[in-house]
Amino acid sequence: MAKYTLQRILYMLLVFLIITCMCFVLIRMLPPAVLPAGDPHAEIIEMRREAMGYNKPYMVQFGIFLKNVFTKFDWGVSDQLFSGQDVAKLFAERLPATVIVNLYSILFSIPLGIGLGIFAALKKNTWVDYTISTLTMVVISVPSFVYAFIIQYVLSYKLGWLPFLMKSGTDWFSPEMFVSMLPAILSLAFGVIAGFTRTTRAELTEVLTSEFMLLARTKGLTKAQATIRHALRNCFVVVVPAIIGEFVGILAGSLIIEKIFSIPGVGRLTIDAIAARDYPIFMVTTCFYTAIGLAANLVVDISYGFIDPRIRMGSKK
Amino acid sequence: MKKTLALLLAVLMVLSVFAGCAPAATEPTNNTEPSSTTPSSDATEPTVPALTGEAGEYTYRDAVSTLASNWNPHTYQVNDDAYPADFLRKGLYNFFFNDNVNNTAEGYDPFTTYVVVPEMAASMPVDVTEQVKAEHPEFNIPESATKGYAYTIDLNPDACWEDGTPITADDYVESMERLLRPELLNYRATDVYARSFSIANAEAYAKSGRMVYEDNGAAAAPYAIEDMTIGEDGQYVTADGYKVFVNLDNANDWLGGDSLKDYVEAYGEEYFDVTDWDALVGQMTKDGVAPLTEETLAMLTTVVTGNEAWGETDGSTLYAYLAYGVQWDEVPFENVGLYKSGDYQITLVLGKALSGFNLYYALSSIWLVKTDLYDACLSEDAEGVWTSTYNTSVETTSSYGPYKLVSYQSGKAMRFEKNENWYGYTDGKHVYVDPTDGQTYDMYQTTAVDCQQVAESATQKMMFLKGQLMTFGLGSDDIATYRNSDFVHQIPADTIFFMILNGHKDAIEEREAAADFDQTTTDLETMTLTSFHRAMGLTYDRALFAATISPARSGAFGLIGNTYVCDPETGLTYRETDQAKQALCNVYGVDVSQYADLDAAVDSITGYNPELAKEFFAQAFEEALELGYITDNDGDGISDQTVTIEYGMSSDSDFMTKTIDYLNEKVAEVAEGTPFEGKIIFTKGGPYDNEWSNKLKAGQTDTQLAGWTGSRMDPYGVTDLYVNPAYQYDAAWFDATKVDMTLTIDGTELTMNLKQWSDCLNGIMITVDGVDYNFGADMVDMETRLDILAGLEEQILLTYNYLPMMQDSSLQLLSQQVYYVTDEYNALLANGGIAYLKYNYDDAEWAAYVNEQGGELAY
Repeated sequence: MAKYTLQRILYMLLVFLIITCMCFVLIRMLPPAVLPAGDPHAEIIEMRREAMGYNKPYMVQFGIFLKNVFTKFDWGVSDQLFSGQDVAKLFAERLPATVIVNLYSILFSIPLGIGLGIFAALKKNTWVDYTISTLTMVVISVPSFVYAFIIQYVLSYKLGWLPFLMKSGTDWFSPEMFVSMLPAILSLAFGVIAGFTRTTRAELTEVLTSEFMLLARTKGLTKAQATIRHALRNCFVVVVPAIIGEFVGILAGSLIIEKIFSIPGVGRLTIDAIAARDYPIFMVTTCFYTAIGLAANLVVDISYGFIDPRIRMGSKK
Repeated sequence: MKKTLALLLAVLMVLSVFAGCAPAATEPTNNTEPSSTTPSSDATEPTVPALTGEAGEYTYRDAVSTLASNWNPHTYQVNDDAYPADFLRKGLYNFFFNDNVNNTAEGYDPFTTYVVVPEMAASMPVDVTEQVKAEHPEFNIPESATKGYAYTIDLNPDACWEDGTPITADDYVESMERLLRPELLNYRATDVYARSFSIANAEAYAKSGRMVYEDNGAAAAPYAIEDMTIGEDGQYVTADGYKVFVNLDNANDWLGGDSLKDYVEAYGEEYFDVTDWDALVGQMTKDGVAPLTEETLAMLTTVVTGNEAWGETDGSTLYAYLAYGVQWDEVPFENVGLYKSGDYQITLVLGKALSGFNLYYALSSIWLVKTDLYDACLSEDAEGVWTSTYNTSVETTSSYGPYKLVSYQSGKAMRFEKNENWYGYTDGKHVYVDPTDGQTYDMYQTTAVDCQQVAESATQKMMFLKGQLMTFGLGSDDIATYRNSDFVHQIPADTIFFMILNGHKDAIEEREAAADFDQTTTDLETMTLTSFHRAMGLTYDRALFAATISPARSGAFGLIGNTYVCDPETGLTYRETDQAKQALCNVYGVDVSQYADLDAAVDSITGYNPELAKEFFAQAFEEALELGYITDNDGDGISDQTVTIEYGMSSDSDFMTKTIDYLNEKVAEVAEGTPFEGKIIFTKGGPYDNEWSNKLKAGQTDTQLAGWTGSRMDPYGVTDLYVNPAYQYDAAWFDATKVDMTLTIDGTELTMNLKQWSDCLNGIMITVDGVDYNFGADMVDMETRLDILAGLEEQILLTYNYLPMMQDSSLQLLSQQVYYVTDEYNALLANGGIAYLKYNYDDAEWAAYVNEQGGELAY
């Protein structure tokens, strides 16, 4: 297991470097923003581009980038969106809002999603199951920003129960901040609830029809005991990695939701950086997402072995 | 392990339950709505986000789609970043409304124009040109100059930073040094030397010791290749001794700001002969240029002229792909035309004469920074690139204006509160007389400004209707609902949107020669005919067009919008002048003698004349038949081909669909009964993103609603956009140097081509028959300049390459909490901005009022 883990980490680092290199080169291959004809400021921009090394060969630029990151953890300064500001600091400032909104959303969604999934599976092929399954499909099919607009219109505008936007400030755990996050949390939660419901229902339904469940009942366990002790545990082999995946996914944020509710998060920062061709911001966010994505895959893979001892990772037999 | 996992899951579930239950437990208690005004029976009354406010506080609640991130006056680049400037800074001079409501003099109309007042200055500038010329030869003031080059400016001794530190002459001089310091490469450095406001030697200091490559194509008088000589090292040099280079990888004016390398790499063999391209690029230096030698000139010639598709086979444009290197000598800052002449006095020396309104306008925004804070925010990276975090946070910002920044969260919100150390609150000068009650009031009633980033217009609208925002810009979907509201204000904008019709015959012939083009059913060439352009120009009622596709805008008939001020001293707009009105009458064939006066004649113009349009369609048909563009094989007098006009969209949208549908509907109506009945159609092309304008210029798409925005205070400069190939949409089929115009100037007839007239109008000396002419600002009287401007507008309109369609403007709802002291929109002061904003309610009263209305306001 340790050898397998180490091997995966090394592969992960290699893939990380390749992806980083590709992103670095591809973004810099985009033609720079057109300088306004006749504008004397264009001359200054041209000189700054030259001074910042943007006219050097791409691989030379990449080498400088890697050197600065590995020797000084210097990710550079923003040259478009936040002129002169340290991009790592900017990124760090934006991360809490994204993480907290999504964390609340996941915490809100997991019990509801799993609970509904269990309920639907236990009531399989009844009107309850049909209703939950149909609603699940409907909810999954509708993107979260649609809920965002509906929630904002109904709860904030018509009923006036919730604020339109997330509160400003960094008092992330204050009651006022939590209330101001609720529209965003609810908007994000619908899809996650539906996802967990569907996964749990599908897995549990399959497990409940297994022969070992029949054995459990014949040896005298009640339906509830058999479900909790045997069925749920087996079903969680699939559900728990999904939970881990969702937790990792929260860091990515949601561009649309962040935009609608004015959440100062990383999702919007990334897209703005791409639109403005702010290379340093783009690189720090891309590297972060790449690292998180790779780490998530690794953790999920390894988690199978812990959840179900029958699964042996890296075994040749 | 199993137990650990079980425990983890249990904790997770418990946390989830808490999260799910949290809202009820954390319901805030900040509802401060006044109970006396709250209808207790209203079940849907807001509880959590109800408006709150303090009595005696006046908070301006604003929303922007992008929050400012860098408001450093030396480096900011975009308008979003200029947002805090009005609150934090003031210029040496400022503009107030002419508010003397008791002035009964004929022609005096209060709140219609403005007066200049010293702001950070203590008094008006004193011209000391003669004195400085004698004492400071380093500034190179022309021998013949007697005024307009040097001024002493007494500074306001009460001005200070928000921490109370006085602002003295040293601050101005040291701030200027930092703005221009060569290694900082500050974006705003060019503002003090590249345009009409040009401080002596500022450019020389900013570029000290640097080789700068000037784009030959962008020069007012480009160097011709024939006039260049070859130096000893084989490199071409100009007559002035500048070395010449092929401009490969720097912004090229001729290419609209792109570089030749961008173009060749993007289009390759499709448009260029790339035989020698790699060899040419192989000679490129790190500065993106290659020395111009006989060898590289031959390579460049092959690249540019070797492929007919590029359309420059005759080599006449090669000069535009060159740059010349200017080596700037080291210049000490002492030579820059700004120095301290007293603790509270500076002397400003200009490289180009400037006076009157233009000087005050240039000095209404200044370069002042708090130098100790500024220096602390500077940093240099390993490559020697300097960056600054000055004015990017509360800690790095120091105000000297009416408000100070008290909180800032990147990408979220910023808040300003009154700067109690601002002199304006106590100097007795920042007051105005209200035109409604004749009473005198202090400016800046607003006590705080809260600005949030709200990207979605729908959210802004809901917040506005809940009383949480001061303004809301109406979108097209809202106009029908609110256009007649008492709270709606029209905000004029500068752009005229015109329709261009493709006249690029070579490009069109090439498109028609394509294998998949069916010439038996489709035609493109007819649209190049002037008669066809004229017919199209008479097909659309401009006001109806605007009302249909973009109701906030209005119809347009000229090339220069109605916001352009031709006389800054009086605020007179160009469109209000007789010259401008007569030009429109001439273009649209209105006989002024048939009307009561010129105004009535202009008012009669709609742009729509279906009878005349039909005549021109018939004429276009005959011409097209004769030229073989179309056929009429069945002899029914109807074109066999459909003239298909591709509308080159940047991106598809409802607006585009609506526009194209309208164009089709009206042309079908007008073409009825003509040889083009049912034979003209607009189709969607693209989307081409930012490439649409290049495609239009290259004749690869046929039309667009495009527009130019110039400087609102300089309508004369707009002419360059229509005669300079670097900007012209029709450069490929209209040469302004080949169209002459004769005007009577001072009783003498003078003939020049349109490019020369435009250049001359904008300050460039033109010699005709041995006589030098310069009709730039302050060179001749305004009437002469207006005659020239109107003449140019008329001539350009008569080419029918540009069909003016819409005047840009927007509609905005203003909150019931506030009102503008004047409804008159002023080109310079708009409606007065935050200085003149008046409140009907303070914050507490407003919260109570909104709640009285059930939490939602009716507009």
